[in-house]
Amino acid sequence: MPVYKFYYFPVRSLGEVVRQIFKLAEVDFEDVRIEDKNWPEFKDQTPFGQMPVLEVDGKPIPQSFAIARYIASQHGLAGKTPFEAAWVDAMADQWRDFRFEFRNYWYIFMGYWEGDAEAAKAKHAFSARDKFYPLIVNQLKENGSGFLVGDSATWIDLLISDQAVTINKELPGFLDAYPEVIAHAAKVRAIPQIAKWIETRPETR
Amino acid sequence: MPKYTLHYFDMRGLGELCRQIFALAEVDFEDKRYDMEKEWPAFKSQTPFRQLPVLEVDGKFIPQLYAHCRMLATEHGFAGKTPFDAAWVDAIADQHKDFYWGDFKKFWWRALDAAEGDLVHEELKTKFGIPERDKFFPLIEKQLTETGTGFLVGDSVTWADLLISEHVSVIVRVVPGFLDAFPETKKHAEKIRTIPQIAKWIERRPVTAH
Repeated sequence: MPVYKFYYFPVRSLGEVVRQIFKLAEVDFEDVRIEDKNWPEFKDQTPFGQMPVLEVDGKPIPQSFAIARYIASQHGLAGKTPFEAAWVDAMADQWRDFRFEFRNYWYIFMGYWEGDAEAAKAKHAFSARDKFYPLIVNQLKENGSGFLVGDSATWIDLLISDQAVTINKELPGFLDAYPEVIAHAAKVRAIPQIAKWIETRPETR
Repeated sequence: MPKYTLHYFDMRGLGELCRQIFALAEVDFEDKRYDMEKEWPAFKSQTPFRQLPVLEVDGKFIPQLYAHCRMLATEHGFAGKTPFDAAWVDAIADQHKDFYWGDFKKFWWRALDAAEGDLVHEELKTKFGIPERDKFFPLIEKQLTETGTGFLVGDSVTWADLLISEHVSVIVRVVPGFLDAFPETKKHAEKIRTIPQIAKWIERRPVTAH
């Protein structure tokens, strides 16, 4: 087994899906969390000046989804067929598109960006939510297994569930119109390896 | 061989990558192009995410450009020769996506149709175009220098080469001189477009504004 070192900030955000993939696959990895104050020094050592980065026997891979797919594929968590894998990828990219719009509010709300949070919320948050989450609800209904793709958990289940819980926690009631999304998140979080990780992981945003 | 139909608008845009993969792999596909006003509204509700492009494979849809392109490229050997290489192809593609849809877009979408002497275009270039260019293209230069093979990942063409070269070739045409500080990037784009199957496709593809 290669030696894996995963570098990210001490938050869940874009890094948590990778940590959860490792946990679900029961593969050891070093969960390195770089504080903001240490980041400038570390930044130049990363391929793209960004995190997360995964080191595989010392060789880096940047970009959260590239990393996620790389680990998930090797441990049966990326769809059972090429068609399923494509659908896992499609949902991840659709979430990413949602995130691009949603972050115009979310990053202000979380304190990463300057701006008028209420104005940004009115302009971006609801429209982004209401374009994206109906697709998730529809996919859950059509797939019918309780998971988003196929009949077992894939990395898209981990991504969507963690994000839904994070959003709902920071913005209570924001996903009330999407009970299926909340139910899906609860189901994923009840998977023993994930439940254990959630219990033992560092408490962060 | 499955029956493939690519559903997209009558432009290069976000459909071109998939078409180039088909060309490179020498795989037949139906290149279905929708008129945005007259035909798209009727088809929209049939698509999984109400968006194009959509790839149809034996009657089943796969939305999202990178998802169906990765699947096709993987099947035909253009997605990296090892899982590690494949991850790097994905990483470059995602980095380009962040670049393309971030602040660069504020400059680029105006640049595509800007007329001579367009002052807003110049302002956007200074405020967004140049800074974003100077964050992204050094990564491409570095990657090409490191592989030394003329390709972005490994020693053969991948869909990351197609993605980057297509965008670069449009930039070079639309904003002359804009990438002069990135010689490896420009050379790479020219080289990829000389690959026989790609050159042939470029010659025969419908000519569209974008």
